[in-house]
Amino acid sequence: MVDATDAIDLDDLQSLIVFRRPAPYWGSFVLARFGGAAQGRAALRGLVPHVVSAAEWGAGRRNLSVAVGLTYEGLAALGLPAESLDGFPVQLRDGMAARASRLGDLGDSAPDNWQSPFGTGSVHALVLITADSEALWRESLAAAGRAIDEAGLQILGRQHVAALAGARTTFGYRDGISFPNIAGLPESPFTAPERPIATGEFLLGHPSESGAVLPMPQPDVLGRNGIYAGVRKIHTRVAAFRSFLKANSQDAAGEELLAAKMVGRWRSGTPLSLAPAADDPSLVTEPDRLNDFTYADDLQGLICPHGAHIRRMNPRDSSLATLADPRIHRIIRQGAVYGPALPDDVLDDDGAERGLFFTFMSARADALEFLKREWIDDGNTFNLGSERDPIAGNNDDDGATFTIPARPVRRRLRGLERFTVTRGGEYAFVPSLTALRWLADPEP
Amino acid sequence: MSHDSSIAPKLEEIKQEIDQALPNASQEAKDTLLGGVEAQLRSGQVEPGTTSAGRVGSRAGKVSELTVIAPLKPGGADRLRSLFKLMNGYFGAADRVGTVHDMRFVFLPGDEQMLFATAFDGDWDSYIDDFATQIPVEMDLLFSEVEGWPGIHDPSVKDFIVEYQHTAEGWYVASPDLTVADTRRAQKKAEIVDELLDKVGSL
Ligand code: HEM
Repeated sequence: MVDATDAIDLDDLQSLIVFRRPAPYWGSFVLARFGGAAQGRAALRGLVPHVVSAAEWGAGRRNLSVAVGLTYEGLAALGLPAESLDGFPVQLRDGMAARASRLGDLGDSAPDNWQSPFGTGSVHALVLITADSEALWRESLAAAGRAIDEAGLQILGRQHVAALAGARTTFGYRDGISFPNIAGLPESPFTAPERPIATGEFLLGHPSESGAVLPMPQPDVLGRNGIYAGVRKIHTRVAAFRSFLKANSQDAAGEELLAAKMVGRWRSGTPLSLAPAADDPSLVTEPDRLNDFTYADDLQGLICPHGAHIRRMNPRDSSLATLADPRIHRIIRQGAVYGPALPDDVLDDDGAERGLFFTFMSARADALEFLKREWIDDGNTFNLGSERDPIAGNNDDDGATFTIPARPVRRRLRGLERFTVTRGGEYAFVPSLTALRWLADPEP
Repeated sequence: MSHDSSIAPKLEEIKQEIDQALPNASQEAKDTLLGGVEAQLRSGQVEPGTTSAGRVGSRAGKVSELTVIAPLKPGGADRLRSLFKLMNGYFGAADRVGTVHDMRFVFLPGDEQMLFATAFDGDWDSYIDDFATQIPVEMDLLFSEVEGWPGIHDPSVKDFIVEYQHTAEGWYVASPDLTVADTRRAQKKAEIVDELLDKVGSL
């Protein structure tokens, strides 16, 4: 219903929005704090030249993303006037720790147990770097580091990320495949086969799916072409996950099938929908087929269960039990692995920290909360009662189930655990380059 | 199991509360009330009660209530009456929403205000954005006679609703753990089981 030709200036967007993470990759998340408005603005002036725009990334000279996100505390520290600050959504104003109950960050995942500096309110800026070579990563990190040092910013934390062998995540799945089809932004082989989604669902200042422009902070120069990000550091309990697969399968092939049913993709990345009975690794070499499927021929979930992670997170054309519009709950995801792989076949926890650094982005600041609360930690929309997502859900009660539709009768597994634990997170605003320069101006 | 010694002081306390709160009630009514509380205390089963449904409203288990009393535009009540008449007073189309247990529209005496009351699954603000893309025409049709209705696409629509929303002080839900989807699924399953039993019985 929205004009898909609404022109987008790719020079104005941070590349994080369109970036397709290379494989292998090296990167860093740097969390920093401004000393005051003048110092913060000076730091931004130093950083902006290193930020890679969507146009630069698209030109393909360097496969690199350097992005800057600002928390609400950071925006306030830069001295933004109250009228501008008040225009940020509650998620940013209150911070991610305060939203714990809406995100299901309870028990082990509760902010009290987060790793500092997450959730302390002290983080002002996040610098996110991902590169396709170790040399390029080191060079970019050093350059950003110099800009930070020259401005005298305090670095509160630094987390390095790097691909594991075969670009797999800690659970063994390949990630970073599906990407929303956004009107006005470049397509890639992995773009989901969907009618282009209104630009305003992702970039502030453009019409959204309803036709209306979503609320954005003012002035226009600040909000336009920006996007909200929920950054999460998530620990993965790989040994527990493997033990669950083993306990519920007869052999190695059974484990692989169960792993595929839980996510909706074989661990190679091949979607179940295109390879229902056995993995078809040949598909992996054909990137334009890897995300080219819908659920129209599988309305009963006999191939890809309704409760599988990717079917929950993007139901595509599934029929849903409630009036929900999957097109307004699409997000841009950037994920990267931290920590070492758990060696193959190890079923005992070795105590090491390993998991994923996620950046979930949308023009709807509540996108992450909606998906976590409604579609990961509940199953009502998928006609699954209270059943949760088998890998990302808070499955800590004994009654937790995972239902696999099958003929003649469905299979229902018990004994799920909470395989993922939140170690920390921040809500941030990822401004356009114009806005970054405006924010960097010494005299606002 | 006897809690007698521990519940006696509690009961006495509640008895006094009842006397104070309901000075005009008959002794019989007060005794009935106290008897109910005593039975609960003795069984050790305190009723789950309600929690908040988000910004306003109560929630019992999976079900939430929403009661809005909103001012109508002049003549709005009559126009809405004609609309409801056209629909035979029934909202079959709401089946699609899949989270609404019931819904009623009542014009308060004098026709200046409309009461809208509904029981539904989950938090109300979760899916309001979905209504804006899926059933915008229906939403605006129903509420356009409300004075000041900003339109379902307006970012202030949530605040507008909250402004006229009143949390129910007393409320009962028969099946707080069943959503509309759960009920429909259970009904379908029961039909399948019945069919199976019929077949087995006729063997
Ligand atoms: C907690 C640990 C998580 C793990 C291990 C995980 C893993 C994965 C994997 C392996 C895929 C398939 C690869 C792909 O299609 O790109 C995937 C897809 C996806 N995940 Fe996650 N995920 C996690 C959490 C989340 C959360 C919290 C969200 C949402 C807020 C989310 C949203 C998505 C979406 C939208 C897709 C793409 C679905 C599609 O378009 O078909 N994930 N995830």
